[in-house]
Amino acid sequence: MVGKNCFAIASDRRLGVQLQTIATDFQRIFKIHDKLFLGLSGLGSDAQTLHQRLVFRHKLYQLREERDMKPETFASLVSAMLYEKRFGPYFVQPVIAGLGEDDKPFICTMDSIGAKELAKDFVVAGTASESLYGACESMFKPDMDHEELFETISQALVSSIDRDCLSGWGGHVYIVTPTEVTERILKGRMD
Amino acid sequence: MSRRYDSRTTIFSPEGRLYQVEYAMEAIGNAGSAIGILSKDGVVLVGEKKVTSKLLQTSTSTEKMYKIDDHIACAVAGIMSDANILINTARVQAQRYTFSYQEPMPVEQLVQSLCDTKQGYTQFGGLRPFGVSFLFAGWDKNYGFQLYMSDPSGNYGGWKAAAIGANNQAAQSMLKQDYKDNISREEAVQLALKVLSKTMDSTSLTCDKLELAEVFLSSSGKVKYEVCTPDALSKLLVKYGVTQPPAEA
Repeated sequence: MVGKNCFAIASDRRLGVQLQTIATDFQRIFKIHDKLFLGLSGLGSDAQTLHQRLVFRHKLYQLREERDMKPETFASLVSAMLYEKRFGPYFVQPVIAGLGEDDKPFICTMDSIGAKELAKDFVVAGTASESLYGACESMFKPDMDHEELFETISQALVSSIDRDCLSGWGGHVYIVTPTEVTERILKGRMD
Repeated sequence: MSRRYDSRTTIFSPEGRLYQVEYAMEAIGNAGSAIGILSKDGVVLVGEKKVTSKLLQTSTSTEKMYKIDDHIACAVAGIMSDANILINTARVQAQRYTFSYQEPMPVEQLVQSLCDTKQGYTQFGGLRPFGVSFLFAGWDKNYGFQLYMSDPSGNYGGWKAAAIGANNQAAQSMLKQDYKDNISREEAVQLALKVLSKTMDSTSLTCDKLELAEVFLSSSGKVKYEVCTPDALSKLLVKYGVTQPPAEA
């Protein structure tokens, strides 16, 4: 979700196989660099592998270009990597959030074969995505500061995942401003 | 000198030498020198910049020092275009290891892997060897800080202090005399600058003719590779009394 010169990215913490819960502290949001975060929903194994491949590509980019990747460029990279597997795709839906040139917030999501969806306000992904669309649409206001943004994204996340049987066990929220990154854990219906 | 045996890289001479490899080392002997010193809390790399025209506008910030991964850096001496290829290879090898094992590549393994690549060019393919020598500086959790030197033949060795490039023998013998085990990083910087100033050909020693980089552990325990800024470098040169003003004897 985009705020005023900041952004927030949040996920639930459940890792499950249909009805069985495997882990209640699963990390779904990964830091690529200080101003770029990637959330990967979907198949856990594909999320981890895709993240590792992206770290590989980003580190080489950093060494050669001597700077961090811009969020827009990173989104194009993810999209290209997903389309490479067009006929045997990764079962993930990425959510990319970062601060680009002049610390302007950038967010986007894509489907599992790399179709980018850019948005100015919020992007959602996962099993509770329809519920999240509704919650975000009603709760979102433009130009929120980071405190208000945290409240908004937390409420939207918790209310949606509590109603979804495959998501849950609390939430993990990152608020990123040009100067700092705050990480918070939320408590929801612990089921 | 048996000239008839030196046109192919992949054959020995009657005396059991590989001439192409030796000629490659000759090429490096004319290049800008680099010195590496291992200290108990870090590794210091100093390099002499050969190209110092004001008109030069480089795309990268350094000419002699390159970062291979977060925990490994290297200094080069020799043909820069060959060096660029090998540095890229080293970077990809380090990332490939991290992708497979999800941990940083041990320094010696990276050096060995790169040297295996270099050795390949002395045994098959009919291509000439790379005309570069490297000084690798890095840290891993198995052996702490390490310094390795490698040459075009693909040989490598771990060193406490090493020199490559022009006047490397003079530099090496000076290092042998003055190096003490357990020196601190600061003393290593001082020693490196002193030795380089004595072996460099140029008449004036200013911060734009040198590059200094260090690999050390930051206060949070993470490995850091830092290149010294030109201002800080000038201050160090004055502090250690090795600066010589330009256009004055």
